[in-house]
Amino acid sequence: MLLEVNNLTVCYDKAMILNGISLKVDTGELVSLVGPNGAGKSTVLRAITGLVAWEKRMKRGTTGGEVTIEGDVLFEGKPISQTPAHEIVRLGLVHCPERRRPFREMSVQDNLMAGAYLFGGKGQVQDDLDKVFQLFPVLKKRLGQVSGTLSGGEQQMLAVGRALMSRPKLLCIDEPSTGLAPLMRQEVFNKIVEIRRTGVTILLVEQEVASVFSLTDRNYVLSSGRIIAQGKGDDLLQDEVIRKTYLGL
Amino acid sequence: MLLDIIIDGLIKGSVYALLAIGFSLVLGVARIINIAHTALFMTAAYLIYIGSKLMGLPLLLAMAAAVVLTVLLGLVVYRLFIQPIQEHEAAVLIATIAVAMMLQEVFLMSFGGHYLGVPPLVDGYLTIMGAKITYQHLLALGLSLVMLVGVRFFLMQTRLGLALRSTAQDREVANLMGMDVNRVALLTVAVSVGLAAMTGAIVVPLITVEPTMWMHPLIMMLAIVVLGGLGSIEGSFVGAYILGFAESLVVFMLPMGSFLKDSVALSVMILVLLIRPEGLFGVSFEEER
Ligand SMILES: Nc1ncnc2c1ncn2[C@@H]1O[C@H](COP(=O)(O)OP(=O)(O)OP(=O)(O)O)[C@@H](O)[C@H]1O
Ligand SMILES: [Mg+2]
Repeated sequence: MLLEVNNLTVCYDKAMILNGISLKVDTGELVSLVGPNGAGKSTVLRAITGLVAWEKRMKRGTTGGEVTIEGDVLFEGKPISQTPAHEIVRLGLVHCPERRRPFREMSVQDNLMAGAYLFGGKGQVQDDLDKVFQLFPVLKKRLGQVSGTLSGGEQQMLAVGRALMSRPKLLCIDEPSTGLAPLMRQEVFNKIVEIRRTGVTILLVEQEVASVFSLTDRNYVLSSGRIIAQGKGDDLLQDEVIRKTYLGL
Repeated sequence: MLLDIIIDGLIKGSVYALLAIGFSLVLGVARIINIAHTALFMTAAYLIYIGSKLMGLPLLLAMAAAVVLTVLLGLVVYRLFIQPIQEHEAAVLIATIAVAMMLQEVFLMSFGGHYLGVPPLVDGYLTIMGAKITYQHLLALGLSLVMLVGVRFFLMQTRLGLALRSTAQDREVANLMGMDVNRVALLTVAVSVGLAAMTGAIVVPLITVEPTMWMHPLIMMLAIVVLGGLGSIEGSFVGAYILGFAESLVVFMLPMGSFLKDSVALSVMILVLLIRPEGLFGVSFEEER
């Protein structure tokens, strides 16, 4: 099992955001995590890749309220709950965050190099760069451009490209299609399938259930901090209750 | 006179640029408004005085030792006083003010309010168009320009520079790229204090060393970062030369000008805040999370 999450619980102050989440992703799979706004999808990814723990550490001594995080996260069988975020990347568990978050004032090139931070200078990462350019030719054209001036779609390509520069075994992508025009959405989903074909396992957080279920091997439906259903897309879509209540279809 | 103003303005601009860039780096990366920044600049100046005048070390050696010691002091203060409360912005601001006052009091108690000085590294002067320009001034100008180029190279061309810029823009995402943001913050403090200390070393032969010498550069530096846009490196650079030349003009052209220099800087600051609060190169701090 590449990723195993057992009984993950996260509280911000007194609000329980995640309530005993368990999920698994096997090597080579494309798995989605879907659910309505505020279900806790991003928090799942943030907890897995160490950001919640980081937030907890940083918040010490402020008025921001207590963060608690419980449960186990195993990556390739090794527990990583205590591993700091910046070391989790090194293991190959890479997180492409919500709202794309490029380094807006840096060039496309510098953004990609930041993704490759752990792997040395330009010389050592040329192969990775070439792969990213092959997937997203538009990034090569915009190499010198300040990333804040890219279009939304291009910024998403950059965010995914940057994450690929971190040499993921498991790539967690948070809502890549949000805010994009339908054509661009399809493009982004196509790219994700292509990335998966190169051997990268993918955990995809999305709201766009209809398009996502046709791509994935398995899916988890999250609502109010609990996994309330899981399985193949077709099966989930067949279930009237899940369709109506949780997927809004 | 014109040449005097140009040389003086260039030196002041470069010195302020070095100070303001160091200040902006720490502000950007660690979100610390370091009021003690110019007090550390003063610390380097005092240490050079102690090394060269009181201990009789060769001036260059005294300068090198002073820079190293000041950086160490900065790092110790950061680890002990600042980092534990780093996310508590108001507390950090107050702590840096306390550090600055402490340094001032330490030097006041140790050396009194006397005006102390350090001899120039090079003697002699050049006469151009009737204006006397000392070699020490030219050296200070040359070295500060070299340092500015060096900082730019470090930021734009090195891997650590990239980590520093990334962390300044979005700590969380920098974390996700494998950058240890606490280590980056520590490195940034070292670079920033190092810049302040080296700037102290460059200009100490040209200025008087006394316990309130950190005040005027602090006011100028704050005015510069407000003018340039809080957190913007280019802004610090451009703002520094604008205010550096403004100061030279005021000092050389107006009677009693040197009493007015702080008021000019503060007026610029207030004007900028009223008219264009984001400054010349306004950076909107990316909202984190
Ligand atoms: N740092 C935080 N402090 C306090 N509450 C938080 C924090 N992060 C998330 N929450 C709360 O946790 C809940 C889940 O948030 P999360 O971002 O994980 O949802 P989501 O499923 O990703 O939603 P969306 O689809 O809108 O992105 C929300 O109610 C949110 O307000
Ligand atoms: Mg989300």
